[in-house]
Amino acid sequence: MVMAFVAAATAMMIAIIPAGIVLYRGELVASVVAYEFITSVVVMVLALLAQGFQRSSLFELPVLLAVLMFGSGLVFVRALERWL
Amino acid sequence: MIRDIFADVLLGLAVLVVLSASVGVLVMRDAYQKLHFVTPAALVAPALVTLAIFVQMGLYENTGETILALLFMVIAGPYLSHATIRAIRVREKGDWRLRQSTVKTGNAPAEEKEQ
Repeated sequence: MVMAFVAAATAMMIAIIPAGIVLYRGELVASVVAYEFITSVVVMVLALLAQGFQRSSLFELPVLLAVLMFGSGLVFVRALERWL
Repeated sequence: MIRDIFADVLLGLAVLVVLSASVGVLVMRDAYQKLHFVTPAALVAPALVTLAIFVQMGLYENTGETILALLFMVIAGPYLSHATIRAIRVREKGDWRLRQSTVKTGNAPAEEKEQ
């Protein structure tokens, strides 16, 4: 286990809290922005944890989430623009 | 040893960027301003993390997958930001384009000229 990577992942998970407050309590458009922020941070957290625990197979998760971030973000934005 | 220190510095910078961006998302008033703070977390910090993994591991399978994730984020980040701003403007104004009457070009609009 590489401690620095796990520590960085933990710190980044703490950084999710302020954005989580915006996601929960903010206006609809601000919530979408906070969602995009949190998704970006979680991609990094997954990569850092995979490196920290030395698990090669877990490196596929950040790649998948990065791809899904694009699709899901566009879906949310389109819904925000047209229906919500 | 030097590799570890360099990787730690890069990780520290990435964490600093993400923490400050997160505070920015919380503190800023409207969604336009909040969106400015998504970009560092979506582009700068992932690049630093990828560099840290590269420094730690060298050119390896894990590094390749991290670079692939970074590539997707670099492509998706600006596109999503643009789409989000467009959606917010459409919600507020009804259309993302500037209206002719609100543009100050120095010339009067065509309808006013006719009168």
